[in-house]
Amino acid sequence: MTSKLVTGDGRTHISSSLMRESLVDRRVIAKTNSEREFSILPDVTLVSLGGHSIFDRGKGALLPIADELSAARGKHQMVIGVGGGTRVRHTISIALDLGLPTGGVAQLVGAMEEANAVFLNALLAKHGSIVMQREHFWELPLYLENGMMPIVISVPPYHFWEPPPEEGPMPTHGSDFGLFIHAEVLGMQKIIFVKDEDGLFTKDPKKHSDAKQIKKTTLAKLLTDMPEELILDRLLFTAWKTARHVKKVQIINGLKQGELTRALAGEDVGTVIEKEMTHA
Amino acid sequence: MLERKRIESQFADSPLTGVGDGEKGGFTYDAVAMMPDVKVVKIGGQSVMDRGRAALFPILEEVAAAKDMYKLLLCCGGGTRARHIYAMASDLELPTGILAALGGYVPRQNARMLQMLLAKHGGIYIMHDDFEKLPLYFRLGCIPIMTGMPPFGYWEKPTENGRIPQHRTDAGVFLSAEVLGCKRAIFVKDEAGLFEDDPKKNPKAKHIPRITASDLLKADLPDMILERVVIEYLVRARSCHELQIVNGLERGMLTRALAGEDVGTLITKA
Repeated sequence: MTSKLVTGDGRTHISSSLMRESLVDRRVIAKTNSEREFSILPDVTLVSLGGHSIFDRGKGALLPIADELSAARGKHQMVIGVGGGTRVRHTISIALDLGLPTGGVAQLVGAMEEANAVFLNALLAKHGSIVMQREHFWELPLYLENGMMPIVISVPPYHFWEPPPEEGPMPTHGSDFGLFIHAEVLGMQKIIFVKDEDGLFTKDPKKHSDAKQIKKTTLAKLLTDMPEELILDRLLFTAWKTARHVKKVQIINGLKQGELTRALAGEDVGTVIEKEMTHA
Repeated sequence: MLERKRIESQFADSPLTGVGDGEKGGFTYDAVAMMPDVKVVKIGGQSVMDRGRAALFPILEEVAAAKDMYKLLLCCGGGTRARHIYAMASDLELPTGILAALGGYVPRQNARMLQMLLAKHGGIYIMHDDFEKLPLYFRLGCIPIMTGMPPFGYWEKPTENGRIPQHRTDAGVFLSAEVLGCKRAIFVKDEAGLFEDDPKKNPKAKHIPRITASDLLKADLPDMILERVVIEYLVRARSCHELQIVNGLERGMLTRALAGEDVGTLITKA
């Protein structure tokens, strides 16, 4: 690619395939497409620990999972994400009662997740965990190369700029979505969500005794028959449609000892959702 | 099962994963506007900054003359260097999030250029993290200047059938106005808004002074004057209901837009 300067229409352009083009034009956007996409860290697995489902249950739930994670270190390259749980729900309740704008609410919730990241780091520090701040994004390979377990902030940094939701004032780009994008941009293929249920159900199993577990499904099938109540952010599935790297999202029950270890080893425990890739 | 140590609240048992958690079950929401009197103004990248002094200096004169009358928040576009970055990164087949993070560098440069030019009038370069200090800057009579890019960066969603990030500097400007509770955002470009055809290729193209977001989306044009997501968000915006596009190359247009005149094109929520 040359870097010639082009003038003559009052503007100074740098020669490139997008020079002078409208980046809003679908035909121009399509020119930036290609079959393949470069995978930055393809062999890393993202493991997400639920805030509401795991953290809020305290020691009894968290310590066995911390043990499994430290045992898995060295066998698997992992990035760990954590949710915020009940404090996020309380934050949102108060913030919405006050009438704060959606972006204002989004600005607040990350703090509660960060607190859980610090909790987990305190438990795992002796096994090589480290809380990775966003501005240290490119230090991820350094941590992984040294056998460390980075704990990342789950909620995406949309903050004050959270897009208006389709319905209601509540921010919709939550921590499941944030971790999904984190995995996708780095070219990871697998995400494990550690929750307190055996996976995805046709309805919320906490409220309906007739809810059925979905053991194995594909993204395409799920999108045509989406359960009303979901264990993961709805926007995760929307984003997955256009994603190119994440092949497998697994939801497992972290309250069952050994399930995380089995999932990391590639066993189809819990719910496995796969995307059929159209391109490599 | 191990019990949760929960805090009782309206959403204590909500999975928080869906659309519409917010206003179900009789929940009422009465939005507070943070700073509704701020004028959020975008200075275009390719349309203004890349034209250099000839285009920019007259606009800055208008900004300086208006700065004691209004609270101005200036946001910058990217332009040709951003296009070069997107072209390079697409050629390397890098993910959209990488393009979004890289594309962020250019509008920040442009914002810094504006700051240097407006320093003597109180121009101050701010980052996303300084957003909460806006009241201070306005109290001091400053003109805060920031990138138009929202802070999504690596967390930008993958783009369908392409790699160029969907949320760029128009989106950041709209979202800034939306969270501040401003009714209108102003986009300074090199055309007087929307035309029935590309005015750069067809000088006889007819100007459209006003159009609703839903009509614009219905037209399903391959190209648009603002980023597509912005028009999609406008339909469901709570505060920012009007996007005004003015021709910054025409003297006095920005001044008239700031005074509330409906010059250029208005894209409205309804």
